[in-house]
Amino acid sequence: MELNDANLQSLTEFLRKTLDPDPAVRRPAEKFLESVEGNQNYPLLLLTMLEKSQDQVIRVCAAVTFKNYIKRNWRIVEDEPNKVSDADRTAIKANIVNLMLSSPEQIQKQLSDAISIIGREDFPQKWPDLLTEMVNRFRSGDFHIINGVLRTAHSLFKRYRHEFKSNELWTEIKLVLDTFALPLTELFKATIELCQTHATDVNALKVLFSSLTLISKLFYSLNFQDLPEFFEDNMETWMTNFHGLLTLDNKLLQTNDEEEAGLLELLKSQICDNAALYAQKYDEEFQPYLPRFVTAIWNLLVSTGQEVKYDLLVSNAIQFLASVCERPHYKHLFEDQNTLTSICEKVIVPNMEFRSADEEAFEDNSEEYIRRDLEGSDIDTRRRAACDLVRGLCKFFEGPVTAIFSGYVNSMLGEYAKSPGQNWKHKDAAIYLVTSLASKAQTQKHGITQANELVDLNEFFVNHILSDLKSPNVNEFPVLKADAIKYVMIFRSQLPKEQLLQAVPLLISHLQAESTVEHTYAAHALERLFTMRGPNNSTLITPAEMAPFTEQLLNNLFKALALPGSEENEYIMKAIMRSFSLLQDAIVPYIPTLIGQLTHKLLLVSKNPSKPHFNHYLFESLCLSVRITCKANPTTVSSFEEALFPVFTEILQNDVQEFLPYVFQVMSLLLEIHSNSIPSSYMALFPHLLQPVLWERTGNIPPLVRLLQAYLEKGGPSIASSAADKIPGLLGVFQKLIASKANDHQGFYLINSIIEHMPAESITQYRKQIYILLFQRLQGSKTTKFIKSFLVFINLYCVKYGAIALQEMFDSIQPKMFGMVLEKIIIPEVQKVSGPVEKKICAVGITKILTECPSMMDTEYTKLWTPLLQALIDTPGYQTAFSQLAFAGKKEHDPIGDAVGNPKILLAHSLHKLSTACPGRVPSMLSTSLNADALQFLQGYLQAATVQLV
Amino acid sequence: MPTKNVVDERISKFKNKGKDPAKLREKRISACVELRKANKDENFLKRRNISVDLSSDYISNEMVASLAIEDIIKDVNSNCRESQTQGCQAARKLLSQERNPPLKEIIAAGLLARFVSFLSMDDEPNLQFEAAWALTNIASGTSWHTQQVVEHGAAVWALGNIAGDGAAYRDILIECNVVPALLARISPDTPVGYLRNLTWTLSNLCRNKNPFPPLSAVQRMLPSLIQLLHLSDKDILSDACWAISYLSDGDNDRIDIVVRTGIVPRLVELMSHEEISVVTPALRSIGNIVSGSDLQTQAAVDAEVLKVIPVLMRHQKPSVQKEAAWALSNIAAGPCRQIQQLITCGLLPPLVEQLRNGDFKTQREAVWAVTNFTSGGTVEQVVHLVQSGALEAIINLLQVKDAKVILVILEAINNIFMAAEKLGETEKLSLLVEELGGLDRVEMLQNHDNELVYQAAHSLIESTLVMVMSTFEF
Repeated sequence: MELNDANLQSLTEFLRKTLDPDPAVRRPAEKFLESVEGNQNYPLLLLTMLEKSQDQVIRVCAAVTFKNYIKRNWRIVEDEPNKVSDADRTAIKANIVNLMLSSPEQIQKQLSDAISIIGREDFPQKWPDLLTEMVNRFRSGDFHIINGVLRTAHSLFKRYRHEFKSNELWTEIKLVLDTFALPLTELFKATIELCQTHATDVNALKVLFSSLTLISKLFYSLNFQDLPEFFEDNMETWMTNFHGLLTLDNKLLQTNDEEEAGLLELLKSQICDNAALYAQKYDEEFQPYLPRFVTAIWNLLVSTGQEVKYDLLVSNAIQFLASVCERPHYKHLFEDQNTLTSICEKVIVPNMEFRSADEEAFEDNSEEYIRRDLEGSDIDTRRRAACDLVRGLCKFFEGPVTAIFSGYVNSMLGEYAKSPGQNWKHKDAAIYLVTSLASKAQTQKHGITQANELVDLNEFFVNHILSDLKSPNVNEFPVLKADAIKYVMIFRSQLPKEQLLQAVPLLISHLQAESTVEHTYAAHALERLFTMRGPNNSTLITPAEMAPFTEQLLNNLFKALALPGSEENEYIMKAIMRSFSLLQDAIVPYIPTLIGQLTHKLLLVSKNPSKPHFNHYLFESLCLSVRITCKANPTTVSSFEEALFPVFTEILQNDVQEFLPYVFQVMSLLLEIHSNSIPSSYMALFPHLLQPVLWERTGNIPPLVRLLQAYLEKGGPSIASSAADKIPGLLGVFQKLIASKANDHQGFYLINSIIEHMPAESITQYRKQIYILLFQRLQGSKTTKFIKSFLVFINLYCVKYGAIALQEMFDSIQPKMFGMVLEKIIIPEVQKVSGPVEKKICAVGITKILTECPSMMDTEYTKLWTPLLQALIDTPGYQTAFSQLAFAGKKEHDPIGDAVGNPKILLAHSLHKLSTACPGRVPSMLSTSLNADALQFLQGYLQAATVQLV
Repeated sequence: MPTKNVVDERISKFKNKGKDPAKLREKRISACVELRKANKDENFLKRRNISVDLSSDYISNEMVASLAIEDIIKDVNSNCRESQTQGCQAARKLLSQERNPPLKEIIAAGLLARFVSFLSMDDEPNLQFEAAWALTNIASGTSWHTQQVVEHGAAVWALGNIAGDGAAYRDILIECNVVPALLARISPDTPVGYLRNLTWTLSNLCRNKNPFPPLSAVQRMLPSLIQLLHLSDKDILSDACWAISYLSDGDNDRIDIVVRTGIVPRLVELMSHEEISVVTPALRSIGNIVSGSDLQTQAAVDAEVLKVIPVLMRHQKPSVQKEAAWALSNIAAGPCRQIQQLITCGLLPPLVEQLRNGDFKTQREAVWAVTNFTSGGTVEQVVHLVQSGALEAIINLLQVKDAKVILVILEAINNIFMAAEKLGETEKLSLLVEELGGLDRVEMLQNHDNELVYQAAHSLIESTLVMVMSTFEF
């Protein structure tokens, strides 16, 4: 590709086409550019265009394309071809800084990004003059250029803030410091002087303050890893000037915008960060400056307004104070009573006030409000920062701070009492203050777990919270109502039970409030109260205590789901689930009505699933309805199937991916309730479950396997008789699953169910193929997880079809295979099998191999007999744990079941039987090679079974 | 530049590597580039009373023609600084010629004393430099010549300065047998001032790595250093301790040479010396020794180092606290019986204090101590650590501005979860971590710019802190 006008012309045309809204025009142009980008001079053509094109749009487009090209191609990956020719690399590096600095801002930004991408790869070794070239521009006096340099430097250096210390990194930083630190310091001083000379020129000030902000950011990056010698030597210059800037105000730079932070705020905010960095990491050196910064930042806070644009600055500034006040050697800066009072009064209280922005969020953006207020995503907010400062101050001054705030709380409550309609925000602030003062530790599960002993939470509840909860008009002062509900919720572990019981019906009535925040909080509070545990680990609030309110609770919860904005409210749905779970049998009478509402909801949300939590709790609630109702009366399962299957069918037909795993689980649950037969409605669905596409999605696999297992358990024979043609499909699923390291255990669940429940003759023809697949996988990748499952499977097979069948199967695949499996897999690995049922299967299977397989007695396999017995006895748990199995395995399915109660006794009996069949041989095999410990255990089993070997 | 897993990186620096990757014992990392001012305690040791500018352009711009020996003597003895410098330069060039350097003539002319006097001219660095070089060249003659230099009391300084100037100069001096010459001067009658100089020069002969001083020289110096360590003069003690700290700052073989002299108990004793100038190098030496093998560490433990470390962790100087915490972190990397001794000897309270309120550099070492402790300790020991308040303290530190420290803390929390799992108390610990504000902090770290920090935070959340909603909860 020549650097000529023709090529420029043609590239310009293609670039223009990439902006075309019509994909038929756009795509081919994009494809073309991609196909030519490997040519030499391509990047230089782009640079020429972005510099010289007459068309502004093309210039910007060329800049973006250039940056993306650099991003894709600049890095040289080992063993891959170099995608940018060396000549182009050199030319780009030689020109790009100049080009960037002389371009308009939009293009400058792209090129600056490109420089930092190149810099990431080439700087410093392969681009040694970059820094000098940049530093030289500081002297240009043109702040447009200087800011370009600073911005580029910032994007090059900001990684110093998060990368790990390494020699390579520090060598680079050292080099940067050597070239950059002094000029940067000079520039910093000069810029500050210029700010004074141009103090009345607003346009000049704007540019200069952007420079100062960038310089402060660079300071942060360069000082992050460690305190560089240069900056230690020049701390006086930097800190004095930072301090000066913190205290500076210039009317010209104040903005009218309420939301967007202005230049002054951005600069001061960065300076707070810089001071915090030094205070945290270089305390020893920074100590002389720290008190000055504390005072300056505190004054800054006192004089900064409530507007949103100051939020970042205020929260950074408060966090700085919070981190300093907990350090013992700075305690003295705060301990004066006047200081404390002033911080509480002028910094903390004002920042806890409910602002109009909060009010707007409360009304119009309840989701965001709840996320901040309830879920703790308030890290950057003023309230959170003020809370952290309260906690920091309480470390040393809990008594005085509590006393100061008590006074405030009382006066704010007094103001409220005078005129609630006007002063309700005072009460809000009072509640917030009490909350932040009282809570020392908190969890989602228990609410506040450690409280400030100086605050009487119960008294406050009785005097100030209960009245709001009891107020007959739930829609009056919704913010205060929400505060009161939240108070109950977070202090639930601190309040006595009778207060909570008193609150329950009140919370239920708040479910009807119009305010989304309010009824959401009510649902959430109820849900949390219902999870509380009393003595004996039963729920604190019992179904009996709930009896008087049950109907209203369920009514109001479902009504709340119909309130505008709460159609898919996850808190309400979770409260429904929790109520079902708490009330248990008490919900049965209501289910016929409720199930209709739930399925209706399901139908609605399945059109466009968007709230995963809501959907999850919806399915949970459905499951609970099924379980609770069918536990009392299993025959009701059909009414659930009637209600649910139409919706499920629609979900399956429309392939609503998010819901399929849930649907399979609910179907399994329903099917498992049936006693040993499989309704035809399920059989009709069976072929669909084997469709490969369903098995492509990992989320479907566990619930689908569980569902197929339910099919096999309930209807193995009917599948064999009426759907035998589906058996290969079933085995196809098995084949797919065991091929994957992640899903192989699921494949074993399936094949174990097939072995256990399908009539033997229906799978005879496939058995060998099954083993060949397993051996192939074993040969290919042998993971511990696979081997454990494999061992359980072959032992189950042995239990089901007998030891001879197992041995013959192996030896038919390959001569002497059985011996190899015993020696290489069973004997060395059986001890790794975990789980009581799994261990039992292996114990019984191995017992059969030992005692029911003639070739173990009189072929070359005989030498493996004692090692196998030894391995069995040495299995952890075998010697002690089996007697507990009846309790431990309660929930788990045990395919052997009561046929074998105690595998040790089985071993004793089986050995006895074997020894009578071939007298003399067993005792001699035992005494020659079994170790003493094992022999002793074995004697114990024989005695317990009251048998003797002959 | 891909960032390697720091933990792996640190492991590679431990002698226990391969044995148990979870046990992290850290050698002093000396090869690292430094951004900070060089350590003040150490720096003044390297040079005393002399500052030589070894800038390359000075050396390369040699324009002085070789002078006859008579002219040299005249120049050196003149009162003009320029002539003196010129004379010294000519002398050292003449002395560096391969064949028959006129050593005798220079010594006979009394120039040695002259050179020595130039050494103290701080305002004439070039002259200082040339004089020092000339002295080195004389000292590197036969042992008689070395002897001549050494006997000029003040010249011992010069040798010390030269030796302190780097491994190459040091080894030149060692090769020309300075060591026996110096050792021969040490006797019960040696005046204290002279003995101080000798000790300092010896310490500089032990100094510098890459390469270390030759083993034979070390073996030769050690018995005398041990003797010196039993004197009472604080300057001698300080320099002798520094010498030991240099010798022990290496791999386990180097440490072994020191430990086998039986000096460890005396070093531990000196850690409680009233002079900070003695405490600092004694602590460094012991810090180096406990970075060695379990056996070497045990030697320090047997000498009751664990009684001294708590005191030093509460020392008023942050640099002492940091060194003490570093030593503690290495003992915590040992087997669980050594960890048990940490508990028994009451090291957990000062450790937690430092985690809470220490200087950042100390906090950093204290965090490593916690991670090492939790990866090598028994379940009971880890529980004890958590109960001492360490978990709360490290959770608070999750907001530090240092990606590596954060990653190490996440590792510690993960270790604590592994202990909880063995006790079946994962859920209890999750709640505790949440109560302490840890869940919020770890969640925030999922936005960290450092990939490894983000991943560690993410996997901690996934595996332990949040119940994943993949199946129904009944």
